[in-house]
Amino acid sequence: MKIEGNFEVDHPRAEVWDKIRDPQVMGGCIPGCDSVEQVDDTSYRVKVSVKVGPIKAHFNLSVEVLEEDPPHTIVSRTSGEEGTRSSVVNSDNVVRLAETGTGGTRVDYIADVSVTGRLGKFGLGIFRKKADQLAEQFVVNFRDRLGVAQ
Amino acid sequence: MSVVLSPGSVEDAVAMLAEHAEAMPLAGGATLVAMRNAGLVEPTHLINLDCIAELRGIERDTTGGIRIGAMTRHCDTAACNDLTGSLLVLRRAAGMIANRVVRNMGTMGGSVANADPAADYLPALACCDAVLEVAGPEGRRKISIHDYVQGWYETALEQGEIITAITLPAPVAAPSAYRKIARVTGDYATASCAMALDPDGKGLRAAIGACGPGPLRDRDAEAVLRGRLDDPEAVLDFAACLAALADPLDDVRGSAEYRLRLIPRLITSVLSEIALQTEVA
Repeated sequence: MKIEGNFEVDHPRAEVWDKIRDPQVMGGCIPGCDSVEQVDDTSYRVKVSVKVGPIKAHFNLSVEVLEEDPPHTIVSRTSGEEGTRSSVVNSDNVVRLAETGTGGTRVDYIADVSVTGRLGKFGLGIFRKKADQLAEQFVVNFRDRLGVAQ
Repeated sequence: MSVVLSPGSVEDAVAMLAEHAEAMPLAGGATLVAMRNAGLVEPTHLINLDCIAELRGIERDTTGGIRIGAMTRHCDTAACNDLTGSLLVLRRAAGMIANRVVRNMGTMGGSVANADPAADYLPALACCDAVLEVAGPEGRRKISIHDYVQGWYETALEQGEIITAITLPAPVAAPSAYRKIARVTGDYATASCAMALDPDGKGLRAAIGACGPGPLRDRDAEAVLRGRLDDPEAVLDFAACLAALADPLDDVRGSAEYRLRLIPRLITSVLSEIALQTEVA
């Protein structure tokens, strides 16, 4: 399942890049993120909780930054399991930053996500809606973190 | 393992739900038990609502309005002779849920609380302007069906609240109908439509199911359509207003695009079906 989207912020690309590469900022912006732990320069352990109606899931994810080209592109891979449960999530992610004509930044993201196990039974259609909802919330949180453009 | 508790009153059920953070109310169990068996939910306690007299039965109040206890089974709703005219749509929707086994088990309160976007009651209840009676730790309150669904499987029910009844305005002599398009009989809807004609036959109320997190109803567009039901273009404009509210899923039952195309088909076909009922009557 491909999840893609984009959003624009008023802040310059270098500043947006710094925030996107700051695990604590990202952890604070990802809806349901319980903790972010930096393992080394390019890998992180992340705990995320997601709720769809009565179904609650807690994921232990590892995020590996595979390639980065500051301040343009980050390619990463997320993989993880749902606690001790049988659901497995894998996702290949690309985030691209582009300068807008007005001094702001456009962020494009694509994630190719697969979910197997108990949550796979629930159907991917609803996951896509949930992912879109979470992405919207992320953008709101991220804008808050950036604050008012200087 | 889940511990099953069987309270004898709504107050006891609410207290048990408040006491156990990971408890879930168990209505008919048609969906919840299957979800639990699939490992999708893991309640520590199931608060079985089956022994609460207040939640049972379908009654008429003094003004002719109808109160359906939350634990009323689909089979009883599907056979209820009080659901006539403008409320027949609800009876028809109940009769199209899944299969006989599920209809003998599942309840209206359970189905509405689960708020599956493709289930049958929500569009029918939206068409009937139903009101939900709920009870929770803060006491009792009422929720209009139009304010009920707030997102995908998200409702206005607060933590620890249960639905106690669904109330409907008194039925009026006007035809109503429910139709669903599904892959096979008894499946969840790919798209569905609940419709009731105004008593004077000049306007309608219509709700589309399975094309967004909750039923789609546009009362402004209904007002615009009033008096123009025999104008096919006006009917298509009305369907376009409903389609504009849609946010359909892409899933095994159909693509989002296909669902959008079903909306005008459903509106025109259900309208001609109930128009025929009027002629016969």
